[in-house]
Amino acid sequence: MKTIKESARETRVCREADVVVVGGGPGGIGAAIAASRNGADTVLIERYGYLGGMGTGGLVTIIPLLTDYTGKQQIIGITQEWIDRLIARNAVDYPKEEHWGSLDKEIVRYYFQRSFFMTRLDRVSYAAIIDAEISKYILNEMVTEARVKTYLHSWGTEPIMEGKKCKGVIFESKSGRQAVLGKVVIDATGDGDLLPYAGVEFEANIPPSFRIANLALCFWVDGVDLKKVNEFRQKNPQQFMELSRKAMEAGAWGGFFTSNLPDQDSIVWFHNRYPNTSQIDVEELTRVEFEGRQKMMKTYDFFKANMPGFEKSFIVLSAPQLGTRSSRRLIGEYRLTQKDLADNQPFEDTIAIFPDLDRGQESLDHPLMYIPYRCLLPKNVDNLLVACRAFSSDEHVQEWFNLIPHCIAFGEAAGTASALALQSGVNPKKVDMKALQKQLAKQGVPLPDVTKKVEYKYTGPALTTPPFGQH
Amino acid sequence: MPPEPAPKTVTEPAREIRVSRQADVVVVGGGPGGIGAAIAAARSGAKTVLIERYGHLGGMASGGLINIFPNLSDISGKQHIFGLNQEIIDRIDRRGGASYPRQEDWGSDDPKLVAKYKNANLQFFYIRPDLNSGGRERVLYTAVIDPEMLKDELNTMVLEAGVDLLLHSWGTRPIMAGNTVKGVFFESKSGRQAVLGRVVIDATGDGDIFVEAGAEFDGTLSNKHRTAWLAFTFWMANVDIEKADAFKSARPEEHAAMMAELADLGGYPHYFKGLLENQSGVLWYHCFQPQAQASDAKDVEELTRIEIRGRHRALITYEFMRKHVPGFEGCFIMQTAPQLGLQGGRRVTGEYTLGDKDMVSDEVFPDTIVVLANNDNGEISAQHPTICVPYRCLVPKRVEGLLVAGRAFSSTDSINQYFNIIPPCICYGQAAGTAAALAVSAGVPPRKVDYRKLHDELVRQGVNLPDIS
Repeated sequence: MKTIKESARETRVCREADVVVVGGGPGGIGAAIAASRNGADTVLIERYGYLGGMGTGGLVTIIPLLTDYTGKQQIIGITQEWIDRLIARNAVDYPKEEHWGSLDKEIVRYYFQRSFFMTRLDRVSYAAIIDAEISKYILNEMVTEARVKTYLHSWGTEPIMEGKKCKGVIFESKSGRQAVLGKVVIDATGDGDLLPYAGVEFEANIPPSFRIANLALCFWVDGVDLKKVNEFRQKNPQQFMELSRKAMEAGAWGGFFTSNLPDQDSIVWFHNRYPNTSQIDVEELTRVEFEGRQKMMKTYDFFKANMPGFEKSFIVLSAPQLGTRSSRRLIGEYRLTQKDLADNQPFEDTIAIFPDLDRGQESLDHPLMYIPYRCLLPKNVDNLLVACRAFSSDEHVQEWFNLIPHCIAFGEAAGTASALALQSGVNPKKVDMKALQKQLAKQGVPLPDVTKKVEYKYTGPALTTPPFGQH
Repeated sequence: MPPEPAPKTVTEPAREIRVSRQADVVVVGGGPGGIGAAIAAARSGAKTVLIERYGHLGGMASGGLINIFPNLSDISGKQHIFGLNQEIIDRIDRRGGASYPRQEDWGSDDPKLVAKYKNANLQFFYIRPDLNSGGRERVLYTAVIDPEMLKDELNTMVLEAGVDLLLHSWGTRPIMAGNTVKGVFFESKSGRQAVLGRVVIDATGDGDIFVEAGAEFDGTLSNKHRTAWLAFTFWMANVDIEKADAFKSARPEEHAAMMAELADLGGYPHYFKGLLENQSGVLWYHCFQPQAQASDAKDVEELTRIEIRGRHRALITYEFMRKHVPGFEGCFIMQTAPQLGLQGGRRVTGEYTLGDKDMVSDEVFPDTIVVLANNDNGEISAQHPTICVPYRCLVPKRVEGLLVAGRAFSSTDSINQYFNIIPPCICYGQAAGTAAALAVSAGVPPRKVDYRKLHDELVRQGVNLPDIS
């Protein structure tokens, strides 16, 4: 490998803080808001000009899987606060609360047609479709109210290490290379960008057949006469299917989601999957941008020429961020694995509960996934935490539990733990677990009674629809 | 005043950085300057690498939502900017994504035509008063292009030209050997890497590379100039534009009062109608944000403040319009630009600095690389409808192996504001890329490129140049 020497240099320190959060996606927002609200002087560094990551700039405008199959909401906290602020601005679509968990066939059918994300396991599932632009505003509002010091257009690149201690972060911006020092650093980059430089163990194997082995380049088409599309679809379902098949034959995407948001009937959303070998290889990212954009144009041309209702359509927006699904994963103090998917017991250090809804009968038998604090902690560095999809997990756990609400929950726990640890003068690994759980519960995070053994057996009706993975 | 304390620093130790590419020409930044430079260099036979921070090319013209190519003709309707600019417009036009006045209307002062274009999507961008005929308004050649189609077309164009492209890659610093630039470091998801090259073209817009290379530059920006302002651009959709127009013309006073109230609330009252014909119901808000006095667009603190403030103003605008203004009942913010609308900043100090005197001299330089229409300067424009730009404006003093393509070309604050927009930047890029390739093949520094050869090569590429003999 050819290299060139970069000489030693003095890099300006522009800020010193208690907690430095790198990345303003779902994990970073959770972490920064929670740390700051709990009294830590907090800096948030974000590469783009807005917050929200995949939920906004990735056009993955969906916060799914919030209730378990019984309809009980398990993810609340900062996720629900974001949704509540969207509700106040009439900028979100979700099933009515009284329908969550409903098995009523008519109701389930209604929501299934409304959005693929609103039903799971024959039941209605609480999922929120969010307005990306209003969300960007709301997230700014939330970090500003929490008094987080935010740097936008700033790319946090590397940790500053002193032996096994992380002292801060280097970031690039239009002001040149600068440093922010911190007592605790939280890696919310999604890809665990800080891990290799911190000398922390990680893994990155992803089987090609997995959802997470794909990138997305989401895009929106506007000017669609949705009424016309739906009429055509209802009157000629076979022709509609045939067109979708022909689109795929022509190298285009075959299907789309509707926006569902008030007054946004004219917008449809093309979500997609591009297999790739790595999401942390710039060559692959460049290749997928090209492939995605070409396929986007083919899709647009095909639909405009062939699908009733698309005659006056236009591409309004391709996502400024590629839809990243997984890359590096920390090998932390606890590694969640396949065997945890089949276990119904909470951990002593549980910091979140995730509904398990995507694995058919397996999900009914094991409806809740408990998340231990330890899966955010590297083994050999004490003051670095991971709060994003790079949490410590094998590829199976990663496949199901690395979505937007999950990452916000990792963030909320990591940020709260960092602030509490600093208050009591210990490193985050030594944080008082009872105090952390008490504080999280106070913030509205549902947590289990970790002293009780869970007795559970599924006794409901047999499943009739195939699980998500087999769609 | 006591001296400022030395800033606190951390020491980054020396380290080996992986060299990802070795090329003839390395272009940093894929905006208008960078795409012009990369395409021209590669077509001229140089092995070319282009490094772009975002996932798309086009810069302000795509990600900044400033998808306008203005001032392609002078006030008489004579087209001056051709070359890559026209090629891009033609390509988008073939896909139905371009909008511009009919060629036979350029320069026309027919009041009916003027009224028609004034009421069209771009309004004043199509029209200028001609002081040579008593201020009668005339139609200009200005084009609007679909930003999403542009992103795809630019990808196709750089690929066809054989450019080696790195997206999601932030070119941060030059690699120096003495006074000579040898390449650049860039950051990406692959970590810090290097690209080496025989000529580096700084097309970052802000001169991010030339500062660290030790080039002289001028960063003064007067708040009186357009260039000192930043734009937070957004699109509002599902607007009943006919209804909004009807309300405005039937009750102008009520409308004006509403807009004044919106402005008082911190919102932004001005908008252009849907930029393209197929985008019915879409409005374009070019929400100007004044910067604090004596600050500048390259300060990350300022960029962060403007992002937050701009987004807040967009929300105020949206909520007010929706609630109060007929035609906006069902509107929503469809998108905000992922890139802030930067309009000016650092300017390199080159072998020649374009200044106010050049606007009135009508000088044809021996190294003229482009002729630009001068449409925005009232009396001066009337007497001097065009201006020539010399190659030397792209060549920094002292530093070798470096050219500047884009709005950071060597110019005074006062002149930069007129000639730093998208079409001129593409022209500067086309010239820089062509010159870089010539320098590499002749084995000379870019400063020593033969002006005559550069002239002939640009003319061969379809650039409109004056007779320099």
